[in-house]
Amino acid sequence: LSSAYSVPRFTSDPLASAFPAQPGPPRRNAWDGVPLNGSPLDDLAAESFLQRSMSMILEEAVKKATDVRQKVCEWRSPEELKELLDLELRDGGESEAQILERCRDAIRYSVKTTHPHFFNQLYAGLEPYSMVASFITDALKPSLYTYEVSPVFTLMEDAVLRKMVQIVGWEEGDGIFNAGGSMSNMYAMNLARYRDFPEIKELGNSAAARLVVFTSQECHYSISKAAALMGIGTKNVFVVPSDKRGKMIPSALEEQIKSAKSEGAVPFIVNATAGTTVLGAFDPIDEIADICEKYKLWLHVDSVMSHLFSSHRANSVAWNPHKMLMACLQCSVFLIRDKTRLLQRCHSARASYLFQQDKFYDLSYDTGDKSVQCSRKPDAFKFWLMWKALGTRELEQRVDRALAIARSVWGNISDFAWLKPLSNFYFILLPLYLQVAPVIKERMMKKGSMMVGYQPHGGKANFFRMVVISPQVSRQDMDFVLDEIHSLGMDL
Amino acid sequence: MEPTVGDLSDPLINHTEGQLFLHEAFKIIVEEVLCKGTDVKEKVCEWKEPEELALLLDLELREKGEQKEKLLQRVRDVAKYSVKTSHPRFFNQQFAGVDYHSLAGRFLSEALNTNLFTYEVAPVFVLMEAEVLRGLRELVGWTEGDGLFCPGGSTSNMYALNLARYRLYPEVKSQGLWSLPRLTIFTSPESHYSVKKGAAFMGFGMDNVIFVKGAVPHFVSCTSGTTVQGAFDPLDRIADVCDKHKLWLHVDAAWGGSVLFSKKHRHLMKGVNRANSVAWNPHKMLVAGLQCSVLLLKDTTNLLKKCHGANASYLFQQDKFYDVNLDIGDKSVQCSRKVDCLKLWLMWKAVGSTGLEQRVDKAFFHTRYLVEQMKKRDGFQLLREVAPVIKERMMKQGTMMVGYQPLGDRVNFFRITILSPLISQKDLDFFLDEIERLGNDV
Repeated sequence: LSSAYSVPRFTSDPLASAFPAQPGPPRRNAWDGVPLNGSPLDDLAAESFLQRSMSMILEEAVKKATDVRQKVCEWRSPEELKELLDLELRDGGESEAQILERCRDAIRYSVKTTHPHFFNQLYAGLEPYSMVASFITDALKPSLYTYEVSPVFTLMEDAVLRKMVQIVGWEEGDGIFNAGGSMSNMYAMNLARYRDFPEIKELGNSAAARLVVFTSQECHYSISKAAALMGIGTKNVFVVPSDKRGKMIPSALEEQIKSAKSEGAVPFIVNATAGTTVLGAFDPIDEIADICEKYKLWLHVDSVMSHLFSSHRANSVAWNPHKMLMACLQCSVFLIRDKTRLLQRCHSARASYLFQQDKFYDLSYDTGDKSVQCSRKPDAFKFWLMWKALGTRELEQRVDRALAIARSVWGNISDFAWLKPLSNFYFILLPLYLQVAPVIKERMMKKGSMMVGYQPHGGKANFFRMVVISPQVSRQDMDFVLDEIHSLGMDL
Repeated sequence: MEPTVGDLSDPLINHTEGQLFLHEAFKIIVEEVLCKGTDVKEKVCEWKEPEELALLLDLELREKGEQKEKLLQRVRDVAKYSVKTSHPRFFNQQFAGVDYHSLAGRFLSEALNTNLFTYEVAPVFVLMEAEVLRGLRELVGWTEGDGLFCPGGSTSNMYALNLARYRLYPEVKSQGLWSLPRLTIFTSPESHYSVKKGAAFMGFGMDNVIFVKGAVPHFVSCTSGTTVQGAFDPLDRIADVCDKHKLWLHVDAAWGGSVLFSKKHRHLMKGVNRANSVAWNPHKMLVAGLQCSVLLLKDTTNLLKKCHGANASYLFQQDKFYDVNLDIGDKSVQCSRKVDCLKLWLMWKAVGSTGLEQRVDKAFFHTRYLVEQMKKRDGFQLLREVAPVIKERMMKQGTMMVGYQPLGDRVNFFRITILSPLISQKDLDFFLDEIERLGNDV
């Protein structure tokens, strides 16, 4: 894998192009000392640099990073790391060798999130097909606002969205890929607001009465951030209590809705979570949907953490293939059960430098006005290529396997009677005394043996949250985690 | 051999196979996208009608997977039918060209697959982002400040709007806009449409993006390098007005910010140091590659964090074993946030500020050359109906890509964006010749 690539030479000097020189007054070759013709970069140097950096990336950042015999992280304190990296940006440039060395350092001191013992976040593992798609995207650097600039990716995004709408169980639908699940949740709020009060787009929030959002106490914090950003206000996010498994209590939801209405506020959206961030709990979607139908509220299901079951009664769904399916960051979808072009109507600004009405192709292919962004990366491609490579069946198998591994760990955990764990599908939560977890975390990071996240919950204990989602881990890796926590914390 | 769910002792993914695929796909990328994609002898685009292209690509997602050879062919097809935005004759948008150092930085960012909310998960990049932001702020003229990388200039502009609003009325974070007077936003008609989109999204309302009597002005967004005409608003004079009325001054320098690297041209942004916030997209004039967008702030009171923070305890535990101020996630409205600083940092290290300055200067020289040439040619006036026809022809022939749009009540005109360090005079001459050739009979 570290052998040199034999590829055709990069294009030579543009001056040697097929077009013959025009007769006429002599051209200026330079202007104020700056050469005007030809690339400033030596083509041979560019080729060599790219080949060498790619070899290194494949060897160090891909191959070694997934090797269980290597460390997950090479911990350095911030001050030490600053010195090691020599971050300062100067007037003069550097040689190829120096730049390659810098790449090597960046790899060395970065956390290997694809390592089998990385359980710190809700993403993990290496998905080579989506990575190839990322590389292609970076090389082509397209932007997804119009068909003319991104023909392939426009069609691809559409194909993936259609398939996902089918999987959710809707007859029709729309959607868009976003810069993260937080943004998908924001879109849901914006569309729900626009559906009920379209005049807000022009006149602002003050054109309507005080709007309120409902969500469980276990929901992702992006709901609160969205409310703040969109001028709704975090106090107008009504937090519905959940039961001891972390599931929203439907009767409490209805109480809160009634209470909000009696205050003169206007409920407009309920956010239900399928797979909460800390406990991995699933809100009872059917019962919540009944309530939403009764009060005519928009039901959004934040399903970023899991797969798409039982969301078909929702008006919108947020889902992140970059989590459980391991597509490269970022890969987040927002789906909406709508065929009235609500996304477009809600967000459009019809900029005439992009969305000219006199184009020579069907304008409905230009998706830019569905988004609040302008330039947008074609993240759907990562998912499309991976899906083509693996097929739906294999993707399903991965999800099933994650669950099977979680269950098998759960089965073994009685060996560790000193832990009183909880389990919710893909999470296993190991509660420890408050002071113990940070010490064990520090030790595991300085040793570089693994990374598992902890957080407080209910103020009583810090929980280690073992997230079982990557199909690349095996039962041995799970056993290792339990053993390692035990051995690192033995003296505590 | 198909692995079964029951076989839990082995990893499900075959790493050797995956790495081999990466290796072979990379060869195709180099050949098709980087070599051919920058070659003037090749087309800028291989135009196909949407229906035809959908068939060619065989988009359907099926139950079963596919073999490696088939997938490599798919990689080839994607490259073939995609627009070559690094081609010397691609002038359609405000990004173009290719920088190989930033490209390596982009590949590396993807391979490491992490995001920037905490020091523990992304130690290198948290520190790197801080240093890049510091370097950019220095060019603006600030010795202190704050900022972060955003998923695009539109988001940067939204952040500025949010911070200005929060600074004036911090209670808006919890109470929303209901109890506030109507807030207005000032910007020029030439500004980017993201100001309006942001206003709608954030509850201000698009109608409040112009001066309205009886409302409370709170924000001025001026532009350094407008989207269509590339104009630079007079920052010093606008700053005078903002100082007098105590308004937040935001400079949308998504396009023009890069002139700050150039000693010759930075005068265009004179007064930028008086702004409260600056949006700047190195993926435009500096060729850093999408996405690379920054928001810079003069603020030193941790306003970003106060405005956006939600203190999620599963990420930002206060009992960590390192300085938790390094966990910058709460500055953002995002949760996961991609590493976009590496591409810029690596490129900057490779060519130095001087190299980036030369890049900007060269773009200006090329523009001046083109204007000179255009003046020498007669009949360079275009009528409304002509531009779409010429555009259609250039795309179907794949010889170049230049955008057109109407401006006000004036006719369609072509906007040639000159920024790529890879183009030469020949390419600019070609542009003029080709427009003439394509429009000859119209």
